[in-house]
Amino acid sequence: MSFGTLLWIVLLLPLASSGICQLIRSPKKILSFVCIGVVCIGILEVVTAGLVFSRNTISSCGEWFYMDALSAYHLIVMALVFCMSSVYGKHYFDKEIRDGIFTIKIAKRYGSLWFASLATMTLVLVSNNLGIMWVGMETTTLVTAFLICIRKDKASIEGMWKYLIVCSVGIAFAFMGTLFVAASAYKLQGGFSGGIFWTQLRTVAGSLDPELMKIGFLFVFVGYGTKAGLSPMHTWLPDAHSQAPSPVSAIFSGFMLNAALYCIMRYTSLIRLVPGDINLSRDLFLVFGALSIVVAAAFILSQHDLKRLLAYHSVEHLGIIAIGMGMGPLGVFAALFHTLNHSICKSLGFFCAGRLGQIYGSHDMRGMTGALRLSPLWGGGLLGSLLALIGIAPFALFMSELLIVKAAIATNLIWVLVVFLAGSCIIFAAASKHALSVVYGTPPVLDSKPHRPSITDTSIVVLSLGVLLVLGLWMPNSLHEILSRAVNITEGMDVVTTVCVK
Amino acid sequence: MNTTADIVMIFLVLTNLMLLGSSRLGACIRTVAVQGILLGLLPLLVKNGSFLVHLIFLSAAIICLKGIVFPGLLMRTLRDMDAQHDVEPFVGYGMSLILAPLALVACMWFGSQLMLPVEIASSLVVPVAFFTITSGLFLIVSRKKALTQVLGYLVMENGIYVFGASIAARQPLLVELGILLDVFVAVFVMGIAIFHINREFEHTDVDRLNKLKG
Amino acid sequence: MTIVLRLINPIFGLVAAPLLLGIINKTKAGFAGRTGQPLLQPYYDIWKLLHKGAVYSRSTSWVFVAGPLIGLGATVTAAALIPFGALPALVMFQGDFILLVYLFGLSRFFTVLCALDTGSSFEGMGASREVTFSALSEPAMLIGLAAVARHTSYISLSQMFLSTTSDSWLEWGPVSVLVGFALLIVLLAENCRIPVDDPNTHLELTMIHEVMVLDHGGPDFGFILYTAALKMWLLGQILVGIAVPVRSGNPWIDTSASLICMVLLAIVVGAIESSMARLKLLHVPQLLVGATTLSILALVLLPR
Repeated sequence: MSFGTLLWIVLLLPLASSGICQLIRSPKKILSFVCIGVVCIGILEVVTAGLVFSRNTISSCGEWFYMDALSAYHLIVMALVFCMSSVYGKHYFDKEIRDGIFTIKIAKRYGSLWFASLATMTLVLVSNNLGIMWVGMETTTLVTAFLICIRKDKASIEGMWKYLIVCSVGIAFAFMGTLFVAASAYKLQGGFSGGIFWTQLRTVAGSLDPELMKIGFLFVFVGYGTKAGLSPMHTWLPDAHSQAPSPVSAIFSGFMLNAALYCIMRYTSLIRLVPGDINLSRDLFLVFGALSIVVAAAFILSQHDLKRLLAYHSVEHLGIIAIGMGMGPLGVFAALFHTLNHSICKSLGFFCAGRLGQIYGSHDMRGMTGALRLSPLWGGGLLGSLLALIGIAPFALFMSELLIVKAAIATNLIWVLVVFLAGSCIIFAAASKHALSVVYGTPPVLDSKPHRPSITDTSIVVLSLGVLLVLGLWMPNSLHEILSRAVNITEGMDVVTTVCVK
Repeated sequence: MNTTADIVMIFLVLTNLMLLGSSRLGACIRTVAVQGILLGLLPLLVKNGSFLVHLIFLSAAIICLKGIVFPGLLMRTLRDMDAQHDVEPFVGYGMSLILAPLALVACMWFGSQLMLPVEIASSLVVPVAFFTITSGLFLIVSRKKALTQVLGYLVMENGIYVFGASIAARQPLLVELGILLDVFVAVFVMGIAIFHINREFEHTDVDRLNKLKG
Repeated sequence: MTIVLRLINPIFGLVAAPLLLGIINKTKAGFAGRTGQPLLQPYYDIWKLLHKGAVYSRSTSWVFVAGPLIGLGATVTAAALIPFGALPALVMFQGDFILLVYLFGLSRFFTVLCALDTGSSFEGMGASREVTFSALSEPAMLIGLAAVARHTSYISLSQMFLSTTSDSWLEWGPVSVLVGFALLIVLLAENCRIPVDDPNTHLELTMIHEVMVLDHGGPDFGFILYTAALKMWLLGQILVGIAVPVRSGNPWIDTSASLICMVLLAIVVGAIESSMARLKLLHVPQLLVGATTLSILALVLLPR
């Protein structure tokens, strides 16, 4: 089958499944369907990504769809996170189904919105038209908003509203930036028929108006940065992530933040090719990234809600990825590698936090002790993920952060290095204190003993930790190759630009 | 000087002023409807007369969606909520009205600094677009009711659309429709969200949604 | 000949001003389905008042006696500054519109002083409201006139009006509309019309202008009535001159066009008074700030 058809299937299958969800009769069956459906789509996506890697790029539909190494890499990360979350979600809602809280209506909404969010995030990754990419990001916000307040209690509605407004405003700014970027191409030979197709903008990037590109990039950065959770636009993140059910938090932290950063990367690859001063993109990444790390460190010190703690870790790690993006090719390599590691680790963290919350009855860490004894699997998983998040060797996050340190020294950005290390130290201390107090100690007396975890749950935890360990010790050649290609795209080192004579 | 475009721009500024100074939610929604209709006239003022059918269709779509459907959705939400007045905002109405011309002057200065390829031949379009965006942002930030925040978002989108109409006006129809659809779904979703807020909290004072802290 | 022409302007204003009040009252009566007062009733009222005696309280000073006179003098002087139709004013020099605003301010100042002079709390209340509202309406008027000055590049009222032709309407029409609306709101505010103040109310808590002149009687009150009518005529002149520029070159046509527009303006004010209710006191500043904003818009909006 042709590549175009494959891309269409990857886009339309989630939409169709979303509709099918409305027809299923029982919550349990919906969750199983979600699980199986997402795994199948995930396999398809991995196949697509493999095709892209073997052929360097795919485009179809007259250039409306386009995938290269960067988007394929993100597609794999997305498939991974969604599959893990769907499998986890199968048993997460068991207790709520038994209690009758997770009714059939809620389940139908959950399933449909889940598949719809998968579809919209895929749209962001496969589209070549920057306008459609924007439409996809905006739709992601709208679709996932109601996933947050699946159980309609006051806190989750508040979190949802904040998320909706802040992210909508941010995405509106991103649209302004898109318009500026389109305007910078307008003066080209009295009219540019390429609209805002990324591939075509790339070929003429040498002749784009630098001033307009810079203003556009600034707006795009602030706009998509809001969605990515960079400080000071991160205010929606802790509320939304802590109030959403755990599978939803996992896809938020695991992929949606990265999708926003992916959009910024697309624009970075354009502005790197524009003549004139291009330090703007580097400086923006460094400043906002450093600020995110500092803010996250400050808030992690005073946290007492487990999921909010994980949410602030997301802010910190997005900050780390951002400063990596600002440090040249080695930094970008490290940042992209960190994307994968963070997604796996954060999803695992949210899974364990969700289960432990169900066992203890609340997410307040002051009441949680002795998790390891209560439930070895989830307690151990939480300990492992928190330790990995704060960068303990030999987990993969340590490796990617070490690469960033290397890049910082190589590009002589000592102030960033200092901020990064200081922030990481504070977070190390604070998070390990939280983790150890939750995991060790004597467990409180609870009403019901936690159920034995199922095979799927056990395999999720063990496999995730395993992958993180393996990646920390050995990077497969294929992964290295993929990342290098993605770096080339972002840094603009792989394209032959044609300079139009004005 | 293209007087029609100028007049449309001045009316746009007047609608923004009315939004900033009015406390009655019903009047605010109707003003946003008027703004939507004014916006729908913009594609027809583009200088080159090519793609006429495309422009008329776009114009009709905008007038229909922004002038009729969105305000209708919001009016229905308002009726369900039974609230008619905004509570006293963070920045009072009089103060908002005084800040408005200052913001307009600032936007005019900013517009003159940008070297943009302007397609609609009116020098007012870019400053008024920025002014509309600023008013929308101001409404979101300074008002306490959820419905006014949604109106502020709509106004901001209107401003961005005006800005987009003045530059880079050669978007494929699909992209324009996609963007319109997006805003439609956004307003729809926000309306449902407000309904849920009202049901759960029995008020829609966003200022009082402050349980999640830290 | 020119001197005669230029004299016609203020003399006509002086004579015809109370007629405006009569037209407004007739319009309101018409809306309410009544026959209403005769058109010349204000003249009869002033005539009656001039023949009455006056009673002065022992707790007032010379300010109380002088106030109405100074107000009348200031307003009559202002009448000499305003052009009528295409006829230039009796007195014109650069920047005369600033003098105009300050003459109105002088008259208002003395009215407020008289109100405070009586020592009555009601009049003090009215005085404070009056000063608040005029503090907000003066910028509207000044900036509106400044906007017109900017677009005609003259700073004398007569020259401004003369150069406002129907061609200029096409060029900066929106400015005229904006300034016109701002000046209409200023007119309503300064002349105590609804929606700012009800001229027929005599409830203590709701009066603004009425209450300040509560203790005047006889000829003083006659002067005050006449001053109010003249002020409305003058403000109306400015509004009509900017908003409806008919400059055909023939002085008779221009003048009669202006007259007809003044009558129309009076009918419009009467209509507004009949169809609206008075604004809440706390919302009047918002209305006046809105008028100022319109003026500022007119000032900055169109580049030259």
